[in-house]
Amino acid sequence: MAGAVILGAAVVLFRPTSDVGYVEIKTVPVAPVTQTALYIDSAKLAPIKQGSAILQERVGTLRLQADGLAGALAPLCDIVVKRNRITTVTISVLERPPRCQCRFSGADAAHACVS
Amino acid sequence: MKTLLSAITQGNRARFAIAGLFAAALVLSAASARAEDASGSSAGSPTSPVEEFSQQLEAFQRSVPDLNQSIQDSASTIDSVTDAEKARAEIDKLRATVSGLLGAVSDNGPVSQLGVKALDHVRTKLKALAAETRYKPEERLFLIDQWRKLEAETQSANKELDDARVQFAGLLQTLQQNEDFISELLEIRQAEKALEVIRHLTRDIRDASTQLNKLIGGIKPPGA
Repeated sequence: MAGAVILGAAVVLFRPTSDVGYVEIKTVPVAPVTQTALYIDSAKLAPIKQGSAILQERVGTLRLQADGLAGALAPLCDIVVKRNRITTVTISVLERPPRCQCRFSGADAAHACVS
Repeated sequence: MKTLLSAITQGNRARFAIAGLFAAALVLSAASARAEDASGSSAGSPTSPVEEFSQQLEAFQRSVPDLNQSIQDSASTIDSVTDAEKARAEIDKLRATVSGLLGAVSDNGPVSQLGVKALDHVRTKLKALAAETRYKPEERLFLIDQWRKLEAETQSANKELDDARVQFAGLLQTLQQNEDFISELLEIRQAEKALEVIRHLTRDIRDASTQLNKLIGGIKPPGA
């Protein structure tokens, strides 16, 4: 009950005011904590727990990247974030570099995940 | 008897004369009608070729603007708002509500971040108590026990957030899929309307074609 009240208050307090959407990142194989460092554009993500994370992101096209050779970031795929929509991407972390698998791919882009 | 025969003969002659005059009148009348038809100068006839041609031409000319109007009306019909649009607006509204909820519990959302900070604080405190020497052992155990209970409750609360996150994400995906389905329905409806329009236009074009055929059929070259 108290949790519901806190959640309700948080929803009211932290209601998104700008255009935002969501990115669901799934990692395979599922691990308690994913060791591979992942980045959205240049922002490093917190380690993904239990193979799943849902992130609130600004609307637009974001680039999912991983640590590459010689300290450079290796682009994995682009993610198209739409307002109030969720775009799902699965990352196979066993491969080097990790590989993106889009739930839905855009028709016009070669390797962009869409909602 | 001779008188009687003479009278009959005279009567027959008179009848023949009347019959002959009537026949001559008929022949003359027919000849006169043919002459009028050939010259086309009969002012009172409603079905003269010139008038018929004129009427067909006017009918055809009238049908062309109707056809243009029909095309314009059809285009606006296709663009008009349908019920599926309303359903999509409702889903948009629901999606915005669920999105607000998901925003709070997303992994980088404010509530989740508070949960992570709370758990970090509890764990830091437990580590500190493990190395604490200021308290008696039973006091330290009591404090550790209290913090462990708090850790369990915080973990439980974070688990609830995880469940809520999965639930809201699933709900948002369901709404997205329904919206896609509604979009498909809308496309089907539009395709049906387009088909109706094509049928209507075909009918109009066929009517115009009939008018044109009548117009062409009404053209008679001289001497035909």
